[in-house]
Formats: sequence, C-alpha cells, structure tokens
Amino acid sequence: MSASDYSLASHFDEVTALLYLEGQLDPERAREVASHLASCAACSQLLGALEKESVWLREALREDEESIPTRVIAAPERTGTHWGWIAAFGLCLAGLYTVWDGFVAPALAQASQAGFSQGNLFTMLFFQGAFWQGWDTMRNMTELLALATLAVVAIWLLKKQWHRLTAISFVMGALIGVLGLPSIADAADIEHGSPSYSLPAGQEVKTDLIVAGNRVRIDGDVDGDLLVASQSVEVNGHIKGDILAFAQELRVNGPVDGNIRAWCQSVTLNSTIGRNLMGFIDVFVFADKARVLGTMTIFAGNSDLDGRLSGDLLAFSGNMNIDGFLGRDARISADRLTIGSNAEIVGQTKYQGRHQPDVAPGAKLGSPIQITIPKRGPDYTRISYYWHRVLLWGASFLFGLVLLLLLPELFHEAVGAARRVGPSLGLGMLFLFATPIVATIACTTIVGLGVGIATVLLYLIAVYSAQVFIGSWLGEQLLGRSVGLGPAIGRLALGLAIIRVLTMIPFAGFLILLIVTIWGLGALVLALHRKMSPHPAVAA
Amino acid sequence: MSEADLAQLLSQVRMGDTEAWGELYRRYAPAIFRFCRRILPAREDAEDATTEIFVKVRQKIGTYDRSRPFTAWLYKVASNHCWDTLRRRRIRQDLETGDLETLPLEHPDPGQLERLQNEHTSKEVRRGLRRLPDRARMALVLRYYADMSYEEIADTLGVRRPFVGVLLLRARHQLRDALGGSSLSVREKPTGGRQP
Repeated sequence: MSASDYSLASHFDEVTALLYLEGQLDPERAREVASHLASCAACSQLLGALEKESVWLREALREDEESIPTRVIAAPERTGTHWGWIAAFGLCLAGLYTVWDGFVAPALAQASQAGFSQGNLFTMLFFQGAFWQGWDTMRNMTELLALATLAVVAIWLLKKQWHRLTAISFVMGALIGVLGLPSIADAADIEHGSPSYSLPAGQEVKTDLIVAGNRVRIDGDVDGDLLVASQSVEVNGHIKGDILAFAQELRVNGPVDGNIRAWCQSVTLNSTIGRNLMGFIDVFVFADKARVLGTMTIFAGNSDLDGRLSGDLLAFSGNMNIDGFLGRDARISADRLTIGSNAEIVGQTKYQGRHQPDVAPGAKLGSPIQITIPKRGPDYTRISYYWHRVLLWGASFLFGLVLLLLLPELFHEAVGAARRVGPSLGLGMLFLFATPIVATIACTTIVGLGVGIATVLLYLIAVYSAQVFIGSWLGEQLLGRSVGLGPAIGRLALGLAIIRVLTMIPFAGFLILLIVTIWGLGALVLALHRKMSPHPAVAA
Repeated sequence: MSEADLAQLLSQVRMGDTEAWGELYRRYAPAIFRFCRRILPAREDAEDATTEIFVKVRQKIGTYDRSRPFTAWLYKVASNHCWDTLRRRRIRQDLETGDLETLPLEHPDPGQLERLQNEHTSKEVRRGLRRLPDRARMALVLRYYADMSYEEIADTLGVRRPFVGVLLLRARHQLRDALGGSSLSVREKPTGGRQP
C-alpha cells in the first residue's frame, strides 16, 4: 500500500485509530470505527502497525537491561526517635569517650611529655618539631600546590576518561609524581657512592646533600640537610641542617644544627645536636659527651642514655639504661629500666614496663618515679572489662552507622566484596603491610609529607572500618540478606558484637582481630577498585 | 504476590512494620528506578529520585485509597515527583497545551512504520526517547511503561483529558523522527479527514 492510498476523504485519522486502539473512544464512535475496519484493508493495516508500535514501545521501555544500584536496593528509613536509638546513641557517645580517654588522650599526653607541649600537636610537628625545615621548604610547598592545582584542572578536563584510571594506578602515579618532584633535586647535591662516598675535611657542600653508597663518610661541612642511605655512615663534619638517615650503622661525631631523624640498626651520638632527635633504632648509644638541645623521641631495642638531653624524653624501648642528664620530663615505656648513679632527671619520670626499674642510690631524681606495671592480659573477673568491651562495640557500631548512612553504596559494595574471601584476604594482606611502607617513603621528603600523613590517616580509618564490613558480612550469614536500612543496621550490630566477643578470647582473640582486619581491608580495597572501574553499560 | 498478600503487606506498612516496609521497597524499588531512569537525564538523578519517591510513599501511605491498584498510586507519586524535578530544573522545553490543539499530525505509511520497528533495537528506542522533549517522553513512559490511564496522564502533565491522545501520537511521531523515520509520513493533515 502506498501513502497515496490514504485518501482522507474515506478513512479515519491516526488519532482516532490510536484512541480506538487504546479503548479511549466512546462506545458509539468505537462501533463506527469497528464497522469501517471490517471493510477497509488500509485502515486495518494502519491500526495493525500502530498496535505493533505500542508493543514495540512497551518492550523497549520495560526491558530490564540495567543493574539496580545498591544504593537503591537499601530501603530508606523514616526518621523518628526511638528509645533504642537513644540508648544506642548514648552507648556510642560513651564508646567515643572511651576511645578518646583510652587511646587518644594518652597518646597526646605522651607527645606532650616528649616536648610537643603546645596546644596543637600538628603545629608542633610541622613548625617547631621534627618535620619543620625552614621557610625555604615552603617554596617547595607552594610549587607543590601549584602543581596540584594544575593536576586538578587536568583531571577535570579528562574526567570523561576518568573511568579508565584504576584506583591503584592513580594513587601510585600521584605518589611517584610527588616523590619525583624536581624541586628536591634542584636544591640538593646528589651523590652516588661507587661503592663508597667520602666528603673530605675542609670541603663544604653549599646545598642539601643526598648521598647513597655502601659506606659514607662526611668529614667536610654541609650547609643544608644531609639525606643518606647507606650501610655505614660516619659524620665528622658540621651539618647545618638536618640529618635524615637510613642506615645499618650511623655514627655522628660532628655537630648538627638541626634535627636528626634516623631509621637505623644502630646509632651512636658523640656530638651536639641543635634540635630534636627522633629515631627508630635497634641499638642506640647516647654517649656521655653528646648533647641534644631539643627533645628526644626514640623507639629502640636497647638504649643507653649517658649524654645530656635538654628537653623531654619519650622512649619506647626494650632495655633502657640512663646514666646521663635529662633536663625535663621523661616518659618511658620499656621492658627493663636501669637508672645509674650518675643519672640526673630534673623533671618528672613516668615509667611503664613489665619489671620494676632498677634505680641506683646515687641517681638524682626531681621527683619519685611514677611506676606502672600493667597486668598482662585482660582481667576477666572485673565488670569494668566487659563494660569497656561494650563501649568499644558502641564506638565501632557508631562508626559503621555513619559509613552506612553517608556512603551506603560503598558500604554495600564492601560487604559484598567480603564474600570473595580469597581475593579480600590477599589484597588486605598486601595493603595492610605495604601502605605504611609507602607512607613512610612519602614522609621522607618534605613535599611528600602531606601525602604521607594523609595516607596514614586514611589507612587508619580503613583499618578501623575493616571490622564494620566483616561484622555486616557475619550478620548477613546469620540473619539473611533482607533489604532495607533496618535489617542492615541489625546485621551490623550483631556482627560487630560477635567480633567483639571473639576478640576477647585469650591469644586467639588477637589472631581473629588480625584476620578480620586483613579481610575487611581487602574487601574495602576491592569495593573501591570496583567503584573506580568502568561502570556496566547504562540504559540508552 | 496475590492481591490479598499485597493488601496485608500494605496494612503492616501502615502500622509501621519496618520488615513489611523493607519487603514493599524491595518489591517495587527496581521498577520505580527504571521508571525514573527512563524519564530523568542521568542515572544519579534516577537513584536520588527513587529514594525520595519512597520517602514520600512512606509519608503518604495513609492517603492511599485501597480501592485503587497500588501500582497506579505508586506510579502517580513517582510521576509527580519526576515531573516536579524536571520543572524545578527548568529543562522542560516542550510546547504548552494550547499548541497541542493545533499540532499538525501526519499519517504514516504502515509498511514503513513496521520496517522502522524491525530496524531498531530496544536500546536504540530508549536512546531516541532521550532526545524527545520532556513532555513527550513523559507521556510515552507514563502510558507504555507505567500503564497509566489517560486521566492520570492528563492530571500529571497538566493537560486536558481530550488532548492526551494527541500528545501521545505527537510523541510517537517525534520518536519516529528521532529514529530517522521522518520520511515515512505523508503530507496530509488528519484533521481534514472524514470520520467513518
């Protein structure tokens, strides 16, 4: 049939055909149309085509081609106050207080003991403490900000391609970019010892000195910082900036005007350090002629402090011997503490350890030592122990609740990813141990410090959140997967409670907590990876 | 689910039973999400709208008239919400009611119309739908996805009942054009035709 067959002088119009098809004509009109259709092939054909079009449209519109987002699957809840919520909120607040009182406040107090006595710990860390390197580095920071701004603009321009970047490649790329910023190299003399490096006496490096080699010996002077990675490092010259050392053995015999930060197997100090010392050291010797004019923060296997420290001491050590002068307070956590007869501690001494300290009669102490010998393992006979567990459960529940309400999609993705036990455990293991290493590497450059600290903070949040995802998964196994916010909260509460109880088991509890952390962390990484990967095809 | 089961479920929801609410949501949220997805421009918009629609449903469940089908009421709430969303964003660019009365409609060639249907996949139809003006797209979705009556469509879109048919037909023509079938119409106005 051609179009010209539709001589409108003898046929009904398309609107009438549609209304007839959809049952929208009044009965009398419908009868007229039906009567015409019985004798008109052209109009019947038009009606048939329109009817097929209706079916075609219905099928196209109703086709179920797109997955339903998990955010939609979680049912919204009506807000309203309920006694259960009030009780949960109260518990959560109490839990937060417990976390603060039990972990954060003591940590801040310890930092305060170590000389970070200003109100703002971060201000101390960055501007007066170990990390501050002077205004020159602020120029580098400005350059970093400029670069970051450019990067944000570039990402914005490329956002359509964003889905092609995976989370890992982005994070690693950013880290490499930050670590490889030329601003460090611009202001430094970089030396590669082959196999050893030596800066002779009388020579002076006018900038920072970055050096790597089997053996490094610095007899000359360095105007800036000394950044060294070596098996053996001996510094006899004058370092006007800081020393940042990764070494098996570090001996400092020459004066240092700035700070020393050391990750070494052994460190021996024989000279005067103008500012602070921070070290992760197996064997630390602070010789009797050595001086540290700032504070000292050490994590050491064995430490001998015979020199003169002007500021506070914060020490975590296996065995610690003090036979020198400590100008202010000392806070020591050690397996064994010996205070010799030549020792003098002007401020207050707080000691926590497994054994009573051995204090020689001749030692001069500003005030009696405050000794805490913690009982090993939890005291299951005390009600306060169980109450403390309940409060910790409340804190983790509150955290999980916030995650569930603020990031429901990620939450459900992570719980879903926890079902893939093998990949979750593998990835969790990798990220649990690799992230602190990457963050530490980032922290070793001043421009990477922000990235490093941010990474550490995110890492801690991720580690804490691991129990939330595994708790929800556990609740899902016991209560089923019914949809809605209420059931999700119920699963979270039950699962976290079970984990909390399991971690109370002597010895095995720690292992369970470790597995839960690894598993949950891996699930979170999987979920993040999935969220940053390309989405499945969306509806046309 | 039988009508009796649905009625019982709705009664439980009215009484504040959260389990029943979860079941109701689980049952209807996917359909409402797809409904929103057909109407609103982006997937995220559809996700937000689905959540907001169910918040409204829970608030208004007491006003639901049990003599009517629940799905009809549900789609009415959803369509009002989506239409308000589009209106708030001022992205409705289609013609007003007055224009509908004088819209010229052209007869299709039934053979070419069937060929058009055979040549395009469902996905292409949905793509074509996205290129339509909001009112035309809404009309097709309300009628052929949600099975809404002409009265309900008129009420939702703010047009007079007799013009819903014209609106739907016009939308079909626009969809055919969007799919590249503009050549299948003959150049004659149906309003000039004699009624049988």
